[in-house]
Amino acid sequence: MLKYTHVTIDGATLRTPKGQSVLDVALEYGICIPHLCHLPNHTDMGACRLCIVEHVKNGRSTVTTSCTLEAKEGMVIRSNTDRIRALRMNIAELLVAEAPNSKAVQDVAVRCGVKQVRYPFRNKDCVLCGRCVRVCRELWGANALGFIGRGMKRRVDFPFGVRPDSCKVCNSCIDVCPMTITPCAGPMLPGREYLCGQCESQLSMNATVPDTCVLCDLGKGFQCARQR
Amino acid sequence: MTELKRLEDLDALRERLGTERKRTLRTLTVCGGTACQASRSRPVAEALKRELAEQGLGDVATVRVTGCQGFCEQGPIVAVEPEGVFYCHVGERDAAEIVGRTVRNGEVLEPLLYRDPVSGEKVRTLDHIPFFRWQERRILGQNHLLDPCSIRESIASGGYAAWQRVVSGFTPEEVIAEVKAAGLRGRGGAGFPTGRKWESCRNAPGDVKYVICNADEGDPGAYMDRSILEGNPHLVLEGMLIGAWAVGARAGYIYVRHEYPLAVEHARTAVGQARELGLLGRNLLGSGFDFDVEIVRGGGSFVCGESTALMASIEGRVGEPSPKDVHTVEQGLWNRPSNLNNVETWANVPLIINEGAARYASLGTDHSKGTKIFALTGHVKNTGLVEVPFGTTLRTIIHEIGGGASNGVGVKAVQTGGPSGGCIPARLFDLPVDYETLSEAGSMVGSGGMVVMDEGTCMVDVSRYFLEFLREESCGKCVPCRLGIDRMLEIVTDMVNGNGRPGQIELLEELGDTVSATSLCGLGKTAANPVLSALRYFRDEFVAHIEEKRCPAGVCRALIRYAIDADRCTGCGVCLTACPSEAITGSRKKPHTIDPGKCTRCGICRSECTFDAVVVKPREDARAQIHPRDDRRSHAAHA
Repeated sequence: MLKYTHVTIDGATLRTPKGQSVLDVALEYGICIPHLCHLPNHTDMGACRLCIVEHVKNGRSTVTTSCTLEAKEGMVIRSNTDRIRALRMNIAELLVAEAPNSKAVQDVAVRCGVKQVRYPFRNKDCVLCGRCVRVCRELWGANALGFIGRGMKRRVDFPFGVRPDSCKVCNSCIDVCPMTITPCAGPMLPGREYLCGQCESQLSMNATVPDTCVLCDLGKGFQCARQR
Repeated sequence: MTELKRLEDLDALRERLGTERKRTLRTLTVCGGTACQASRSRPVAEALKRELAEQGLGDVATVRVTGCQGFCEQGPIVAVEPEGVFYCHVGERDAAEIVGRTVRNGEVLEPLLYRDPVSGEKVRTLDHIPFFRWQERRILGQNHLLDPCSIRESIASGGYAAWQRVVSGFTPEEVIAEVKAAGLRGRGGAGFPTGRKWESCRNAPGDVKYVICNADEGDPGAYMDRSILEGNPHLVLEGMLIGAWAVGARAGYIYVRHEYPLAVEHARTAVGQARELGLLGRNLLGSGFDFDVEIVRGGGSFVCGESTALMASIEGRVGEPSPKDVHTVEQGLWNRPSNLNNVETWANVPLIINEGAARYASLGTDHSKGTKIFALTGHVKNTGLVEVPFGTTLRTIIHEIGGGASNGVGVKAVQTGGPSGGCIPARLFDLPVDYETLSEAGSMVGSGGMVVMDEGTCMVDVSRYFLEFLREESCGKCVPCRLGIDRMLEIVTDMVNGNGRPGQIELLEELGDTVSATSLCGLGKTAANPVLSALRYFRDEFVAHIEEKRCPAGVCRALIRYAIDADRCTGCGVCLTACPSEAITGSRKKPHTIDPGKCTRCGICRSECTFDAVVVKPREDARAQIHPRDDRRSHAAHA
């Protein structure tokens, strides 16, 4: 028997099957919460922290990621306060400074309102969102990819750097990687990265309804859960 | 030793051991903590034993190697009980005299006594030393009473009495109520009420539960957990037994750092002895309660001190934190309700049961009860472990116990709580130390590290040090912690190197706020504290680094130059020979000069000069760089 639970997100009380995460509920009902590392039907690890929301409990609000927060009866969530938007913008700015060459990351940054990057660009190939690791482990059970190292030295690799037999070169990891789509203006050379800002026009129509999904094209690069 | 089957067996054993103890007239306690062992206390203990045997005093006195007694500065320490005569800096050659004169005749050896650096007088006994006089040594004070490797000594000095009381007349609910009434709060850093944690763990559904002892202490300069586990492992075990009884757990883990070999060894020995004696295992003391403890060694990561990462590490997974939307008291180790407490918290539990909640709660402030051990390090005269009641002012700890600044210059600030804490300036030293006051001041009690910094410390450089530490120790899982700390470090390094730009202070504050609000675990959430508190109290230093390209404390190499004061220089040539880059020139008996082009600003000449003739000056050419290089400019959107 399917059991339902009710959560209030941004003032709207929503009915949802039990066991869903707050992010799932919000996306289901067309509330836009930017996200990057979330992969539908996979465990969430809360790595990118873009999907942060305010969880109001006993009159106090705590900032937490909506992907790892299970929807419980009577929960009150605010997904689009000034504070959340400011924090989200800072995180997106950190991400885009790390990987300006990724269309997905650029799009997310635009969606979070990043217009200027205050840090030197780095042009990395990986933002460690862990989508490839999870798709390999959870969808195929291959466990061919994993995180290696700690902190700034953390990277995704095969065990001991050698492709194991369990990897069947299915390319799922490449499909879900947010770094594999060539940016619209073509790859930028190291040291010559910039934000073109052309995608901002896409957001002009939702300026009045900032927390509503307008089915923009910005989620294509990382398979936004609404794009399915 | 035979296994103890009933409560009365333990009583009988304690009585027998107590009378055995009384037979010897004197005991020589030699501190065997890691610090004292490093200053060769083991050979001292061996020499004392040899001398006792040679002089035929074997049954008059015994030698006891104990855990850390706290005054690590003065090691190796030997105390003669019961008089309490306190000898410091004892060497092997002093053994004959200590045995021959103090043990045989009760004479006091003047040269070995502690000399009070303030009054210059010799102090005879431990209680009269200023370092100890202001302390309330309830946990650490037990260390010198027993040999940590002997469960007999522990029992003889009252070990496992609290456990006995619990088994004989406490329901689990009563134990929880007692701990709650005592107002015990987690000593590991966050200060969560222990009683409430136990209650939620007890009430969590599930019949398999765990208690875990967190001995993965990693803050720079902090070592109180190590000293407790090394010096009195049975106290921790007793606390865990009581906790397990209260929450209904039948298995426990001690997660101890691999870098603490002595603590691992002592904990292992203690668990082995307790098992042998029937204090761990099945049907303990005939109560029908089963409990056993396993020791797990940490894998060498700072973040493994975080509860979810620690449990992942015990399970054999990578020690990375996971989201805490479901608390570990409900779903922790192997998704079972798990109760994690710090070593010091566990050590406080037997005390509460023994003396009662009311008496325990009589010490401390309104919301912080009991005593807390701090590791006092840095620029103070007396470094070591300090146990004081909550509510003691920072001034008492630093100036009375610590003896004030060691270098003759004033104390500038104290860094409490390690990399998660913050810096508190000297003008706030009258603040009482408790959880709330310190967190209002932008710092925290944390696990209890206290690093004192004198006027010669640059706060920007200190911020850089902590950020560097945290960047190395961040697991790298979430974006704000991995990238945010790195970017903060980048900004602060710019400042230290004289490349600071206007607006970076505001950026640092904004970034710090983001990192602390959005990070996944406690490491990230508190990572910005050192920088934010430094910015709060020492903002002018950051401004000076950026706008004037000047380091007020004269520390940051890129912003200073060394010069020789011609009036003070006697031309002795010491600096000239000491300089590794041959930057100093001059003839004998004439004032020398430093060539700024060759000088690497290592500071060796300054420390070598006995006339204080080498002075630090702001660097003029650093000021010429006030306009930043173009390639580091921020990028506008429509470039």
